[in-house]
Amino acid sequence: MKRMKKMITIMLCLLFAVSMLAACKKEEKNEKTDGSGTTKAPEVDTTDTAKKEGSEKTAEAKPFDLTLGIWPEETLTAEIELHNGYVEEFKKTHPNVNVVPAYYKYAVDTFVPKAEAGTLPVIFETWYTDTQKLIKGGFVADITDQLEARGWLDQINPSIKDLMSKDGRTYGLPRDGYALGLMLNLELFEEAGLMDADGLPIYPKTWEELAQTAKIIKDKTGAAGLCLLAMDGAGGWHFTQIAWGFGATFCELGEDGKYISTIDIPEAIEAMEYVRSLKWEYDVLTADPTVENWGTGFTQLGTGGAAMYIAANDAVNQPTYNNGLPVDKLALVPVPAGPKGQYSLSGGTPYMFSKSATPEQIDAALDYLVIMGKGPVLNEEGIRANNQYCVDNGIPVIPRYPAWASDELKAAEDALASEYSNVDMRLYNDYFNILKTPGNLRPEEPGETQELYSQLTNVLQAVLTDKNADIPALMQAADANYQKILDTTINAQ
Amino acid sequence: MLPAILLFAFFVWEPILESVRLSMHSAKGFRTEEFVRFDNYIRLFQYPVFLKALKNTVEYIFWSLIIGFFTPMILAILITETVHGKSFFKIGIYFPNIIPGLATVLMWRYLFGEGKTGVINILLSYIGIEPQVWLNNTMLTIPLITIILTWKGAGATALIYIANISNIDPALYEAATIDGSSPLKRIRYITLPSIFSLGKMMLILQIISVFQILYEPLVLKNGGPNNASISIMMLVWNYANRNMDYPMAAATSVVICVILIIFSGLYFKLTKTKEA
Repeated sequence: MKRMKKMITIMLCLLFAVSMLAACKKEEKNEKTDGSGTTKAPEVDTTDTAKKEGSEKTAEAKPFDLTLGIWPEETLTAEIELHNGYVEEFKKTHPNVNVVPAYYKYAVDTFVPKAEAGTLPVIFETWYTDTQKLIKGGFVADITDQLEARGWLDQINPSIKDLMSKDGRTYGLPRDGYALGLMLNLELFEEAGLMDADGLPIYPKTWEELAQTAKIIKDKTGAAGLCLLAMDGAGGWHFTQIAWGFGATFCELGEDGKYISTIDIPEAIEAMEYVRSLKWEYDVLTADPTVENWGTGFTQLGTGGAAMYIAANDAVNQPTYNNGLPVDKLALVPVPAGPKGQYSLSGGTPYMFSKSATPEQIDAALDYLVIMGKGPVLNEEGIRANNQYCVDNGIPVIPRYPAWASDELKAAEDALASEYSNVDMRLYNDYFNILKTPGNLRPEEPGETQELYSQLTNVLQAVLTDKNADIPALMQAADANYQKILDTTINAQ
Repeated sequence: MLPAILLFAFFVWEPILESVRLSMHSAKGFRTEEFVRFDNYIRLFQYPVFLKALKNTVEYIFWSLIIGFFTPMILAILITETVHGKSFFKIGIYFPNIIPGLATVLMWRYLFGEGKTGVINILLSYIGIEPQVWLNNTMLTIPLITIILTWKGAGATALIYIANISNIDPALYEAATIDGSSPLKRIRYITLPSIFSLGKMMLILQIISVFQILYEPLVLKNGGPNNASISIMMLVWNYANRNMDYPMAAATSVVICVILIIFSGLYFKLTKTKEA
């Protein structure tokens, strides 16, 4: 009996082990079939009828799935409605394609497991700071040929194209670009009496003025003047924007092709001293900047916790639609000038494609983008639908930042934006004008940018939590750390 | 025996060996590319934050022993000495353990909020005390996080002690009472010696678990301010999830594993000779 029991136990264990291994095997198989173009089970399939339609026409073209990571998240019902319209349009020309909504918000902690398991959607959005990392990791598909065939390759804004290319091959295309500006909560500006006779905000033109304006707002309304970020890398990102005005840059490419950290130069220290004064002299920041990140910043701005926030034109939906600020109470003005100039940090959101996507899937995804009005092809209907969506949902309709180097396209898009305009453009004009100034736009710092931001955020945290922080010493330590990181990573290659 | 071996092999040994293998390779994602020997380890030891993280981790352990080691013992003794409402107190101390970890941490974040936004500061303002910076005071960050850990974890450990104490032969207490010893003496000469060996086990378990502290500093302060609360497990997290550098994350994990194995070995050796 005892022996029997033992046998059963062993058998069960073996069964357990085998079933586990079998599960692994199956996953592997999935990944492979994904690559070869035969379909994998859709996770969310809301297009049953479409599927039937598609299968009826299989004689003409092989049916396949198109997983769209750019699908809106579940709660954004209005936006999903918009995409359902796109799918209908798309179906007319691609009856064999089964569109599978697969909302995916790019996040560094979920990306690699998804990519390695083969569950990445065919197309998804990511960040410009991460594109090189994704290319280097071999997670994304080379789409040079598809772009070339459509004649889009040369139309991508060259500086943006560089960010998405490696060794002459291109791996992504821009959804749109952004340039940082200063967003204002006009309700707080009104309350603080900072509006002129024309009903426009009297906004700060320099960082020094910003401190004064913020002080007035804090005194009169009790809300913070500025929401400064210091929780994660976004803190360093915003600080970079501030420091450029003081004449600082943080990373240089030496003659020998090695990157050199310049975090501790006097200009950068001066910029950090300025930040210190915002907290400890003017006291115009939110209660604890070390818990503020990109998202909470918009909550502070949208809900009246802070009057000013460094943010970009591609995020006007954040304070309004997501956080309830009325559409006419938002303004976007240029980033204040520093003693050494005025710059706008520019970047954007790229589309990239799963490594395992087939050329047909990539082509279909590009066609879908055209319907959305995102490619360099003017799709009036798509843009109109999008603008109407913004109008209906209280999101400012403002011109796009040009991601494509086509003046006609830009002019046509701008015309459509002004047709649907739901805001007083005088609240945005200064911002768009400053971007046209030669030398104003500046891409992010080279080198290991996320590490740089992390080092700068550390200094910000020290300065914002300790009144007597030794800024030069902190900046020197950050500089030494960053140089060490550069030397063991990018400089060692 | 075999089931245990299979389970261990699948869930413990294989992942450890895989980590060692991964840590000695360069990789794209999880796909290893080249054998680089100890390069990743060298890079790790040169990484500016490594020493700071290690030092902080030791500091977490230090404070967790000061604050957290005796608390469950005291709770257990107090509850066993209670005559009425024992179950109530047992549930009471275990309650924080039921709350999901993340919710606990977020709740404490509101309590320790800065300026006039933090609950504790608001309460203090009623008795005329100026708002404190709490977690932003780099001297206090780690001790405060340890208090949160203790608040959450002490109840579960106390229950184990309670079980242990209730196993002590009541005759011992009766004899002591008849001999006229005070309650304090009974604790000193009967209870404490009886839970001594359990205490030893709890000590090593606590050190191992605190060594791997991750989400509390991550969620509360993202390792800040200025790396004041970054732990060595957070380095693993950053390497894997911020830099997508899995070999470096594996190398860091292996270092943690080696430190803990050496420590556990030493500990058992030392306590064994003492007993013998």
